[in-house]
Amino acid sequence: MRALVDWLAAPLGQAFVQRALGAGLALGTAGALLGVFVVQRGLGLVADGLAHATFGGLALGLLLGATPDRAIAIALPFTVAVALGIQQLRRRTTLGGDVATGVFFAVSFAAGVLFLGLRAPSAPPVNVEALLFGSLLAVSPESLWITGVVSGLVVALLAAIGPQLAYATFDPELARLSGVRVAALESLLLAVTALVVVVGVRTVGVVLVSAFVVIPAATAQLVGRTLGAILALSLASSLAATAAGLFLSYHLNVAPGATIILVLGATFFLALVLRRR
Amino acid sequence: MSAALLARDVTVELGGRLVLEGVSFEVKQGEFAALCGPNGGGKTTLLRAALGLVPLAGGTLELLGAPAGNATAAVGYLPQVKPVSGAFPARVVDVITAARRSSWPLFVSALERERAASLLASVGGERLIDAPLRGLSGGELQRVFLARALCSEPKLLLLDEPTAGVDEKGRGEFLELLAGIAARTELAAVLVTHSADAIRRLAERVIYLDRVVRAWGPPAEVLEREWERGSALGGHDHDTEPGARCESA
Repeated sequence: MRALVDWLAAPLGQAFVQRALGAGLALGTAGALLGVFVVQRGLGLVADGLAHATFGGLALGLLLGATPDRAIAIALPFTVAVALGIQQLRRRTTLGGDVATGVFFAVSFAAGVLFLGLRAPSAPPVNVEALLFGSLLAVSPESLWITGVVSGLVVALLAAIGPQLAYATFDPELARLSGVRVAALESLLLAVTALVVVVGVRTVGVVLVSAFVVIPAATAQLVGRTLGAILALSLASSLAATAAGLFLSYHLNVAPGATIILVLGATFFLALVLRRR
Repeated sequence: MSAALLARDVTVELGGRLVLEGVSFEVKQGEFAALCGPNGGGKTTLLRAALGLVPLAGGTLELLGAPAGNATAAVGYLPQVKPVSGAFPARVVDVITAARRSSWPLFVSALERERAASLLASVGGERLIDAPLRGLSGGELQRVFLARALCSEPKLLLLDEPTAGVDEKGRGEFLELLAGIAARTELAAVLVTHSADAIRRLAERVIYLDRVVRAWGPPAEVLEREWERGSALGGHDHDTEPGARCESA
Protein backbone atom coordinates (compact mmCIF):
# COMPACT_ATOMS: atom_id res chain seq x y z
CA MET A 1 0.00 0.00 0.00
CA ARG A 2 2.79 2.34 1.02
CA ALA A 3 4.56 1.56 -2.25
CA LEU A 4 1.42 2.46 -4.21
CA VAL A 5 1.05 5.79 -2.39
CA ASP A 6 4.72 6.56 -3.00
CA TRP A 7 4.33 5.67 -6.66
CA LEU A 8 1.30 7.94 -7.00
CA ALA A 9 2.90 10.78 -5.06
CA ALA A 10 6.26 10.58 -6.81
CA PRO A 11 5.38 13.13 -9.53
CA LEU A 12 4.49 15.71 -6.85
CA GLY A 13 8.16 15.88 -5.86
CA GLN A 14 8.87 17.77 -9.04
CA ALA A 15 8.20 21.49 -9.27
CA PHE A 16 6.97 21.43 -12.87
CA VAL A 17 4.33 18.80 -11.96
CA GLN A 18 3.25 20.87 -8.96
CA ARG A 19 2.77 23.88 -11.24
CA ALA A 20 0.93 21.78 -13.84
CA LEU A 21 -1.38 20.37 -11.15
CA GLY A 22 -2.02 23.84 -9.72
CA ALA A 23 -2.79 25.32 -13.14
CA GLY A 24 -4.94 22.33 -14.13
CA LEU A 25 -6.98 22.48 -10.93
CA ALA A 26 -7.41 26.26 -11.19
CA LEU A 27 -8.51 26.00 -14.81
CA GLY A 28 -10.66 23.00 -13.96
CA THR A 29 -12.42 24.96 -11.20
CA ALA A 30 -13.15 28.00 -13.35
CA GLY A 31 -14.12 25.96 -16.40
CA ALA A 32 -16.38 23.56 -14.50
CA LEU A 33 -18.38 26.26 -12.72
CA LEU A 34 -18.58 28.61 -15.68
CA GLY A 35 -19.41 25.71 -17.97
CA VAL A 36 -22.65 24.96 -16.12
CA PHE A 37 -24.01 28.39 -17.11
CA VAL A 38 -22.52 28.24 -20.61
CA VAL A 39 -24.03 24.82 -21.31
CA GLN A 40 -27.41 25.74 -19.80
CA ARG A 41 -27.63 28.71 -22.16
CA GLY A 42 -26.78 26.51 -25.14
CA LEU A 43 -23.44 28.23 -25.70
CA GLY A 44 -21.19 25.17 -25.57
CA LEU A 45 -19.99 25.72 -29.11
CA VAL A 46 -19.14 29.33 -28.27
CA ALA A 47 -16.36 28.16 -25.92
CA ASP A 48 -14.79 26.26 -28.81
CA GLY A 49 -15.23 29.24 -31.13
CA LEU A 50 -13.58 31.55 -28.60
CA ALA A 51 -10.64 29.19 -28.25
CA HIS A 52 -10.02 29.45 -31.98
CA ALA A 53 -10.46 33.23 -31.78
CA THR A 54 -7.77 33.21 -29.08
CA PHE A 55 -5.40 31.71 -31.64
CA GLY A 56 -6.00 34.79 -33.79
CA GLY A 57 -5.38 37.07 -30.82
CA LEU A 58 -2.18 35.32 -29.76
CA ALA A 59 -0.93 35.38 -33.35
CA LEU A 60 -1.65 39.13 -33.51
CA GLY A 61 0.33 39.61 -30.29
CA LEU A 62 3.24 37.65 -31.73
CA LEU A 63 3.07 39.71 -34.93
CA LEU A 64 3.29 42.84 -32.78
CA GLY A 65 6.45 41.50 -31.17
CA ALA A 66 5.15 40.10 -27.87
CA THR A 67 6.47 36.89 -26.35
CA PRO A 68 4.02 33.95 -26.23
CA ASP A 69 3.36 34.62 -22.50
CA ARG A 70 2.82 38.36 -23.00
CA ALA A 71 0.72 37.89 -26.15
CA ILE A 72 -2.16 37.18 -23.76
CA ALA A 73 -2.45 40.93 -23.29
CA ILE A 74 -3.47 41.18 -26.97
CA ALA A 75 -5.38 37.89 -27.11
CA LEU A 76 -7.67 38.81 -24.23
CA PRO A 77 -9.27 41.98 -25.68
CA PHE A 78 -9.29 40.32 -29.11
CA THR A 79 -11.23 37.31 -27.79
CA VAL A 80 -13.59 39.39 -25.66
CA ALA A 81 -14.36 41.49 -28.76
CA VAL A 82 -15.10 38.31 -30.71
CA ALA A 83 -17.36 37.09 -27.87
CA LEU A 84 -19.34 40.31 -27.88
CA GLY A 85 -19.43 40.25 -31.68
CA ILE A 86 -21.01 36.79 -31.58
CA GLN A 87 -23.59 38.05 -29.10
CA GLN A 88 -24.47 41.08 -31.24
CA LEU A 89 -24.80 38.92 -34.35
CA ARG A 90 -27.18 36.60 -32.48
CA ARG A 91 -29.23 39.51 -31.20
CA ARG A 92 -29.44 41.69 -34.27
CA THR A 93 -29.88 39.05 -36.95
CA THR A 94 -31.92 35.94 -37.41
CA LEU A 95 -28.74 33.86 -37.48
CA GLY A 96 -28.47 31.29 -34.71
CA GLY A 97 -25.65 31.22 -32.16
CA ASP A 98 -24.00 28.29 -33.95
CA VAL A 99 -23.84 30.19 -37.24
CA ALA A 100 -22.55 33.36 -35.58
CA THR A 101 -19.91 31.32 -33.77
CA GLY A 102 -18.97 29.47 -36.96
CA VAL A 103 -18.35 32.74 -38.82
CA PHE A 104 -16.17 34.31 -36.10
CA PHE A 105 -14.42 30.99 -35.43
CA ALA A 106 -13.26 30.61 -39.05
CA VAL A 107 -12.39 34.26 -39.63
CA SER A 108 -10.38 34.58 -36.39
CA PHE A 109 -8.47 31.38 -37.00
CA ALA A 110 -7.71 32.36 -40.60
CA ALA A 111 -6.55 35.78 -39.38
CA GLY A 112 -4.25 34.01 -36.91
CA VAL A 113 -2.64 31.96 -39.69
CA LEU A 114 -2.20 35.16 -41.71
CA PHE A 115 -0.67 37.06 -38.75
CA LEU A 116 1.87 34.29 -38.17
CA GLY A 117 2.76 34.36 -41.86
CA LEU A 118 3.26 38.13 -41.78
CA ARG A 119 5.90 37.98 -39.04
CA ALA A 120 9.35 39.11 -40.05
CA PRO A 121 11.69 36.29 -41.10
CA SER A 122 14.05 37.38 -38.33
CA ALA A 123 11.36 36.98 -35.61
CA PRO A 124 11.84 34.12 -33.13
CA PRO A 125 10.18 30.88 -34.29
CA VAL A 126 6.74 30.11 -32.90
CA ASN A 127 5.79 26.68 -31.62
CA VAL A 128 2.37 26.41 -33.28
CA GLU A 129 1.90 22.93 -31.86
CA ALA A 130 2.17 24.37 -28.34
CA LEU A 131 -0.50 26.95 -29.21
CA LEU A 132 -2.84 24.30 -30.58
CA PHE A 133 -2.29 21.58 -27.99
CA GLY A 134 -0.90 23.49 -25.02
CA SER A 135 2.00 22.67 -22.76
CA LEU A 136 0.68 22.00 -19.29
CA LEU A 137 3.99 20.63 -18.01
CA ALA A 138 5.73 23.82 -19.13
CA VAL A 139 3.52 26.18 -17.14
CA SER A 140 5.64 29.01 -15.80
CA PRO A 141 5.23 30.39 -12.26
CA GLU A 142 3.81 33.55 -13.88
CA SER A 143 1.20 31.55 -15.86
CA LEU A 144 0.29 29.59 -12.74
CA TRP A 145 -0.24 32.80 -10.84
CA ILE A 146 -2.39 34.30 -13.61
CA THR A 147 -4.49 31.12 -13.89
CA GLY A 148 -5.03 31.09 -10.12
CA VAL A 149 -6.11 34.72 -10.01
CA VAL A 150 -8.49 34.26 -12.96
CA SER A 151 -9.98 31.18 -11.34
CA GLY A 152 -10.54 33.07 -8.09
CA LEU A 153 -12.19 35.93 -9.98
CA VAL A 154 -14.49 33.56 -11.84
CA VAL A 155 -15.57 31.82 -8.63
CA ALA A 156 -16.24 35.17 -6.91
CA LEU A 157 -18.14 36.53 -9.91
CA LEU A 158 -20.31 33.44 -10.29
CA ALA A 159 -21.09 33.49 -6.57
CA ALA A 160 -22.37 37.04 -7.09
CA ILE A 161 -24.24 36.73 -10.38
CA GLY A 162 -24.79 32.98 -10.84
CA PRO A 163 -28.29 32.79 -9.33
CA GLN A 164 -29.52 35.76 -11.41
CA LEU A 165 -27.85 34.35 -14.50
CA ALA A 166 -29.61 31.02 -13.94
CA TYR A 167 -32.96 32.78 -13.46
CA ALA A 168 -32.40 34.70 -16.70
CA THR A 169 -31.56 31.41 -18.44
CA PHE A 170 -34.71 29.70 -17.21
CA ASP A 171 -37.14 32.51 -17.99
CA PRO A 172 -35.58 35.65 -19.51
CA GLU A 173 -38.89 37.51 -19.67
CA LEU A 174 -39.86 37.07 -16.03
CA ALA A 175 -36.28 37.71 -14.96
CA ARG A 176 -36.39 41.01 -16.86
CA LEU A 177 -39.68 41.89 -15.18
CA SER A 178 -38.00 41.23 -11.82
CA GLY A 179 -35.30 43.74 -12.64
CA VAL A 180 -32.61 41.29 -13.76
CA ARG A 181 -30.41 42.81 -16.49
CA VAL A 182 -30.59 39.83 -18.78
CA ALA A 183 -28.59 41.15 -21.76
CA ALA A 184 -25.84 42.60 -19.55
CA LEU A 185 -25.50 39.28 -17.71
CA GLU A 186 -25.13 37.39 -20.98
CA SER A 187 -22.46 39.82 -22.16
CA LEU A 188 -20.63 39.34 -18.88
CA LEU A 189 -20.88 35.56 -19.17
CA LEU A 190 -19.37 35.65 -22.66
CA ALA A 191 -16.61 38.03 -21.60
CA VAL A 192 -15.69 35.81 -18.64
CA THR A 193 -15.78 32.74 -20.87
CA ALA A 194 -13.36 34.53 -23.19
CA LEU A 195 -11.09 35.27 -20.21
CA VAL A 196 -11.02 31.63 -19.06
CA VAL A 197 -10.46 30.37 -22.59
CA VAL A 198 -7.55 32.76 -23.20
CA VAL A 199 -5.85 31.70 -19.99
CA GLY A 200 -6.64 28.05 -20.69
CA VAL A 201 -5.22 28.15 -24.21
CA ARG A 202 -1.77 28.86 -22.77
CA THR A 203 -1.93 25.67 -20.72
CA VAL A 204 -4.00 23.12 -22.64
CA GLY A 205 -4.15 24.67 -26.10
CA VAL A 206 -6.70 25.95 -28.58
CA VAL A 207 -8.04 22.54 -29.51
CA LEU A 208 -8.62 21.20 -26.00
CA VAL A 209 -9.50 24.17 -23.77
CA SER A 210 -13.23 24.18 -24.49
CA ALA A 211 -13.41 20.64 -23.09
CA PHE A 212 -12.65 22.08 -19.61
CA VAL A 213 -15.74 24.28 -19.97
CA VAL A 214 -18.14 21.91 -21.70
CA ILE A 215 -17.48 18.31 -20.60
CA PRO A 216 -17.70 18.60 -16.77
CA ALA A 217 -20.93 20.63 -17.04
CA ALA A 218 -22.41 18.21 -19.56
CA THR A 219 -21.45 15.27 -17.34
CA ALA A 220 -23.04 16.87 -14.28
CA GLN A 221 -26.18 17.78 -16.20
CA LEU A 222 -26.73 14.13 -17.02
CA VAL A 223 -26.95 13.10 -13.36
CA GLY A 224 -27.79 16.23 -11.32
CA ARG A 225 -31.38 17.20 -10.51
CA THR A 226 -30.82 20.70 -9.14
CA LEU A 227 -28.57 23.56 -10.14
CA GLY A 228 -26.65 23.30 -6.85
CA ALA A 229 -26.04 19.59 -7.40
CA ILE A 230 -24.97 20.16 -11.01
CA LEU A 231 -22.44 22.82 -9.96
CA ALA A 232 -21.01 20.51 -7.27
CA LEU A 233 -20.85 17.49 -9.62
CA SER A 234 -19.30 19.53 -12.41
CA LEU A 235 -16.59 20.83 -10.07
CA ALA A 236 -15.92 17.40 -8.52
CA SER A 237 -15.68 15.59 -11.87
CA SER A 238 -13.43 18.29 -13.30
CA LEU A 239 -10.99 18.31 -10.38
CA ALA A 240 -10.88 14.51 -10.14
CA ALA A 241 -10.33 14.10 -13.89
CA THR A 242 -7.65 16.79 -13.96
CA ALA A 243 -5.66 15.20 -11.13
CA ALA A 244 -6.15 11.65 -12.42
CA GLY A 245 -5.32 12.64 -16.00
CA LEU A 246 -2.15 14.44 -14.97
CA PHE A 247 -0.87 11.54 -12.86
CA LEU A 248 -1.75 9.03 -15.58
CA SER A 249 0.03 11.07 -18.23
CA TYR A 250 3.13 11.30 -16.05
CA HIS A 251 3.32 7.56 -15.50
CA LEU A 252 2.39 6.67 -19.09
CA ASN A 253 4.66 9.40 -20.45
CA VAL A 254 1.96 10.84 -22.73
CA ALA A 255 0.55 14.35 -23.30
CA PRO A 256 -1.11 15.61 -20.09
CA GLY A 257 -3.74 17.88 -21.70
CA ALA A 258 -5.05 15.16 -23.96
CA THR A 259 -5.01 12.60 -21.13
CA ILE A 260 -7.05 14.91 -18.89
CA ILE A 261 -9.62 15.43 -21.65
CA LEU A 262 -9.83 11.67 -22.22
CA VAL A 263 -10.47 11.12 -18.50
CA LEU A 264 -13.12 13.87 -18.61
CA GLY A 265 -14.62 12.06 -21.60
CA ALA A 266 -14.63 8.78 -19.67
CA THR A 267 -16.53 10.42 -16.78
CA PHE A 268 -19.03 11.78 -19.31
CA PHE A 269 -19.73 8.33 -20.75
CA LEU A 270 -19.96 6.87 -17.25
CA ALA A 271 -22.54 9.52 -16.40
CA LEU A 272 -24.38 8.71 -19.60
CA VAL A 273 -24.79 5.15 -18.33
CA LEU A 274 -25.80 6.27 -14.83
CA ARG A 275 -27.94 9.23 -15.91
CA ARG A 276 -31.28 9.98 -14.33
CA ARG A 277 -34.17 8.45 -16.20
CA MET B 1 -58.95 54.50 -5.40
CA SER B 2 -56.78 54.17 -8.52
CA ALA B 3 -57.79 51.72 -11.25
CA ALA B 4 -56.09 48.33 -11.42
CA LEU B 5 -55.38 48.96 -15.10
CA LEU B 6 -56.04 52.24 -16.88
CA ALA B 7 -55.35 52.67 -20.60
CA ARG B 8 -55.67 56.13 -22.10
CA ASP B 9 -55.31 56.52 -25.85
CA VAL B 10 -52.64 53.80 -25.98
CA THR B 11 -50.85 53.38 -29.29
CA VAL B 12 -48.19 50.75 -29.95
CA GLU B 13 -46.22 50.30 -33.13
CA LEU B 14 -44.22 47.16 -33.82
CA GLY B 15 -42.06 46.74 -36.90
CA GLY B 16 -43.65 49.76 -38.57
CA ARG B 17 -47.19 48.38 -38.03
CA LEU B 18 -49.80 49.92 -35.74
CA VAL B 19 -50.74 47.10 -33.39
CA LEU B 20 -52.78 49.23 -30.97
CA GLU B 21 -54.33 52.57 -31.78
CA GLY B 22 -56.00 54.93 -29.34
CA VAL B 23 -56.93 52.16 -26.92
CA SER B 24 -58.72 53.38 -23.79
CA PHE B 25 -60.44 51.37 -21.05
CA GLU B 26 -60.33 50.82 -17.32
CA VAL B 27 -60.28 47.74 -15.11
CA LYS B 28 -61.31 48.54 -11.56
CA GLN B 29 -59.60 47.07 -8.51
CA GLY B 30 -61.07 43.68 -7.69
CA GLU B 31 -62.65 43.39 -11.15
CA PHE B 32 -62.17 40.36 -13.43
CA ALA B 33 -61.96 41.51 -17.05
CA ALA B 34 -61.63 39.44 -20.20
CA LEU B 35 -59.71 40.69 -23.18
CA CYS B 36 -60.78 39.11 -26.44
CA GLY B 37 -60.60 39.77 -30.15
CA PRO B 38 -59.13 38.26 -33.29
CA ASN B 39 -55.61 36.88 -33.53
CA GLY B 40 -53.24 39.75 -34.19
CA GLY B 41 -55.71 42.17 -32.59
CA GLY B 42 -53.14 43.34 -30.04
CA LYS B 43 -54.22 41.53 -26.87
CA THR B 44 -50.85 40.06 -25.95
CA THR B 45 -49.14 43.28 -27.00
CA LEU B 46 -51.38 45.21 -24.62
CA LEU B 47 -50.41 42.97 -21.70
CA ARG B 48 -46.73 43.21 -22.61
CA ALA B 49 -47.00 46.98 -22.86
CA ALA B 50 -48.63 47.06 -19.43
CA LEU B 51 -45.66 45.11 -18.07
CA GLY B 52 -43.22 47.51 -19.69
CA LEU B 53 -41.93 44.87 -22.12
CA VAL B 54 -43.16 46.79 -25.18
CA PRO B 55 -42.75 50.58 -25.51
CA LEU B 56 -45.74 52.84 -26.08
CA ALA B 57 -45.79 55.03 -29.18
CA GLY B 58 -48.45 57.20 -27.56
CA GLY B 59 -50.90 57.47 -24.67
CA THR B 60 -50.50 56.25 -21.11
CA LEU B 61 -50.90 52.92 -19.35
CA GLU B 62 -51.16 52.79 -15.57
CA LEU B 63 -51.18 49.77 -13.33
CA LEU B 64 -52.40 50.38 -9.79
CA GLY B 65 -51.66 54.07 -10.23
CA ALA B 66 -48.08 53.59 -11.43
CA PRO B 67 -46.83 53.93 -15.03
CA ALA B 68 -46.53 50.73 -17.04
CA GLY B 69 -43.52 48.68 -16.01
CA ASN B 70 -43.19 50.33 -12.59
CA ALA B 71 -45.62 48.19 -10.64
CA THR B 72 -44.32 44.74 -11.40
CA ALA B 73 -44.06 43.69 -7.76
CA ALA B 74 -47.82 44.13 -7.33
CA VAL B 75 -48.63 42.41 -10.61
CA GLY B 76 -48.72 38.68 -11.27
CA TYR B 77 -48.16 37.56 -14.85
CA LEU B 78 -49.07 34.23 -16.35
CA PRO B 79 -47.92 33.93 -19.97
CA GLN B 80 -49.08 31.37 -22.50
CA VAL B 81 -47.93 27.80 -21.93
CA LYS B 82 -44.33 27.69 -23.02
CA PRO B 83 -42.36 24.57 -23.80
CA VAL B 84 -40.06 23.87 -20.87
CA SER B 85 -36.46 23.06 -21.67
CA GLY B 86 -35.64 19.60 -20.42
CA ALA B 87 -32.05 20.69 -20.05
CA PHE B 88 -32.65 23.18 -17.23
CA PRO B 89 -32.72 21.47 -13.82
CA ALA B 90 -35.98 23.02 -12.65
CA ARG B 91 -38.16 21.53 -9.95
CA VAL B 92 -41.48 23.11 -9.06
CA VAL B 93 -40.19 24.28 -5.67
CA ASP B 94 -37.23 25.97 -7.40
CA VAL B 95 -39.51 27.81 -9.85
CA ILE B 96 -41.62 29.31 -7.08
CA THR B 97 -38.65 30.13 -4.87
CA ALA B 98 -36.90 31.79 -7.83
CA ALA B 99 -39.87 34.08 -8.36
CA ARG B 100 -39.77 35.10 -4.70
CA ARG B 101 -36.02 35.76 -4.73
CA SER B 102 -35.75 37.09 -8.32
CA SER B 103 -32.83 34.70 -8.68
CA TRP B 104 -32.46 30.95 -9.02
CA PRO B 105 -32.02 29.10 -5.71
CA LEU B 106 -29.00 26.87 -5.33
CA PHE B 107 -30.58 25.64 -2.11
CA VAL B 108 -34.15 26.02 -0.87
CA SER B 109 -34.58 26.66 2.85
CA ALA B 110 -37.25 24.93 4.94
CA LEU B 111 -39.18 28.20 5.21
CA GLU B 112 -39.09 28.77 1.46
CA ARG B 113 -40.24 25.22 0.88
CA GLU B 114 -43.12 25.73 3.29
CA ARG B 115 -44.17 28.90 1.47
CA ALA B 116 -43.99 27.18 -1.89
CA ALA B 117 -46.09 24.30 -0.55
CA SER B 118 -48.69 26.72 0.73
CA LEU B 119 -48.90 28.50 -2.63
CA LEU B 120 -49.15 25.22 -4.48
CA ALA B 121 -51.92 24.11 -2.13
CA SER B 122 -53.87 27.24 -3.07
CA VAL B 123 -53.88 26.09 -6.71
CA GLY B 124 -54.37 22.40 -5.98
CA GLY B 125 -50.82 21.50 -6.90
CA GLU B 126 -49.25 20.55 -3.56
CA ARG B 127 -48.27 17.06 -4.75
CA LEU B 128 -46.11 18.65 -7.49
CA ILE B 129 -43.66 20.41 -5.18
CA ASP B 130 -40.64 18.17 -5.88
CA ALA B 131 -41.56 17.29 -9.44
CA PRO B 132 -39.17 18.22 -12.24
CA LEU B 133 -40.85 20.73 -14.54
CA ARG B 134 -40.17 18.63 -17.59
CA GLY B 135 -42.74 15.93 -17.77
CA LEU B 136 -45.58 17.98 -16.26
CA SER B 137 -48.74 18.21 -18.36
CA GLY B 138 -49.83 21.56 -19.79
CA GLY B 139 -52.51 21.88 -17.09
CA GLU B 140 -50.06 21.07 -14.30
CA LEU B 141 -47.53 23.52 -15.68
CA GLN B 142 -50.07 26.32 -15.71
CA ARG B 143 -51.04 25.52 -12.11
CA VAL B 144 -47.40 25.85 -11.14
CA PHE B 145 -47.01 29.09 -13.08
CA LEU B 146 -50.23 30.43 -11.55
CA ALA B 147 -48.80 29.69 -8.09
CA ARG B 148 -45.67 31.53 -9.17
CA ALA B 149 -47.73 34.50 -10.38
CA LEU B 150 -49.47 34.62 -7.00
CA CYS B 151 -46.30 34.44 -4.91
CA SER B 152 -45.84 38.19 -4.59
CA GLU B 153 -49.43 38.52 -3.35
CA PRO B 154 -50.30 40.67 -6.36
CA LYS B 155 -53.24 43.03 -6.60
CA LEU B 156 -53.53 42.54 -10.34
CA LEU B 157 -53.15 39.32 -12.33
CA LEU B 158 -52.45 39.39 -16.06
CA LEU B 159 -53.27 36.07 -17.73
CA ASP B 160 -52.35 35.58 -21.39
CA GLU B 161 -54.37 32.70 -22.83
CA PRO B 162 -53.38 30.50 -19.90
CA THR B 163 -55.32 27.48 -21.15
CA ALA B 164 -54.21 27.58 -24.78
CA GLY B 165 -52.68 24.21 -25.58
CA VAL B 166 -54.11 22.62 -22.42
CA ASP B 167 -56.40 19.60 -22.88
CA GLU B 168 -60.12 19.96 -22.28
CA LYS B 169 -60.10 18.43 -18.80
CA GLY B 170 -57.15 20.56 -17.73
CA ARG B 171 -58.80 23.65 -19.21
CA GLY B 172 -62.01 23.07 -17.26
CA GLU B 173 -60.09 22.50 -14.01
CA PHE B 174 -58.00 25.60 -14.57
CA LEU B 175 -61.04 27.81 -15.19
CA GLU B 176 -62.58 26.36 -12.02
CA LEU B 177 -59.44 27.28 -10.16
CA LEU B 178 -59.46 30.84 -11.51
CA ALA B 179 -63.13 31.18 -10.61
CA GLY B 180 -62.34 30.10 -7.06
CA ILE B 181 -59.50 32.60 -6.76
CA ALA B 182 -61.63 35.38 -8.25
CA ALA B 183 -64.42 34.62 -5.77
CA ARG B 184 -62.33 34.57 -2.61
CA THR B 185 -59.88 37.40 -3.23
CA GLU B 186 -59.93 41.09 -4.05
CA LEU B 187 -57.58 40.43 -6.90
CA ALA B 188 -58.19 42.27 -10.16
CA ALA B 189 -57.47 40.24 -13.28
CA VAL B 190 -57.21 40.68 -17.02
CA LEU B 191 -57.63 37.39 -18.88
CA VAL B 192 -56.76 37.15 -22.56
CA THR B 193 -58.94 34.42 -23.95
CA HIS B 194 -60.69 33.08 -27.01
CA SER B 195 -63.16 31.11 -24.97
CA ALA B 196 -66.70 32.37 -24.48
CA ASP B 197 -67.05 29.73 -21.77
CA ALA B 198 -64.20 31.30 -19.84
CA ILE B 199 -65.72 34.75 -20.31
CA ARG B 200 -69.13 33.65 -19.06
CA ARG B 201 -67.69 31.86 -16.04
CA LEU B 202 -65.18 34.47 -14.98
CA ALA B 203 -65.52 37.91 -16.50
CA GLU B 204 -67.39 40.85 -15.05
CA ARG B 205 -66.45 42.95 -18.03
CA VAL B 206 -65.21 42.24 -21.55
CA ILE B 207 -62.94 44.30 -23.73
CA TYR B 208 -63.09 43.37 -27.41
CA LEU B 209 -59.86 44.49 -28.99
CA ASP B 210 -59.04 44.55 -32.68
CA ARG B 211 -56.27 47.17 -32.87
CA VAL B 212 -58.86 49.54 -31.40
CA VAL B 213 -61.40 48.83 -28.66
CA ARG B 214 -64.44 47.65 -30.59
CA ALA B 215 -66.57 46.88 -27.57
CA TRP B 216 -66.32 47.19 -23.81
CA GLY B 217 -68.96 46.16 -21.32
CA PRO B 218 -70.71 43.31 -19.54
CA PRO B 219 -70.03 39.86 -21.06
CA ALA B 220 -73.55 39.11 -22.26
CA GLU B 221 -73.80 42.45 -24.00
CA VAL B 222 -70.41 42.28 -25.74
CA LEU B 223 -70.71 38.61 -26.73
CA GLU B 224 -74.18 39.15 -28.18
CA ARG B 225 -73.12 42.25 -30.08
CA GLU B 226 -70.05 40.56 -31.54
CA TRP B 227 -72.05 37.45 -32.39
CA GLU B 228 -74.53 39.59 -34.30
CA ARG B 229 -71.65 41.19 -36.16
CA GLY B 230 -70.48 37.72 -37.13
CA SER B 231 -67.30 37.87 -35.09
CA ALA B 232 -65.76 34.59 -34.18
CA LEU B 233 -64.03 34.22 -30.88
CA GLY B 234 -61.49 32.15 -32.73
CA GLY B 235 -58.17 31.26 -31.32
CA HIS B 236 -56.71 28.36 -29.47
CA ASP B 237 -59.32 27.59 -26.84
CA HIS B 238 -61.87 26.16 -29.18
CA ASP B 239 -65.37 26.06 -27.90
CA THR B 240 -67.77 24.13 -30.05
CA GLU B 241 -70.81 26.19 -29.14
CA PRO B 242 -71.76 28.68 -31.86
CA GLY B 243 -70.64 32.14 -30.96
CA ALA B 244 -68.78 30.67 -28.08
CA ARG B 245 -65.58 32.13 -29.34
CA CYS B 246 -65.11 35.69 -28.39
CA GLU B 247 -63.45 36.43 -31.61
CA SER B 248 -61.30 36.74 -28.89
CA ALA B 249 -57.83 36.97 -29.21
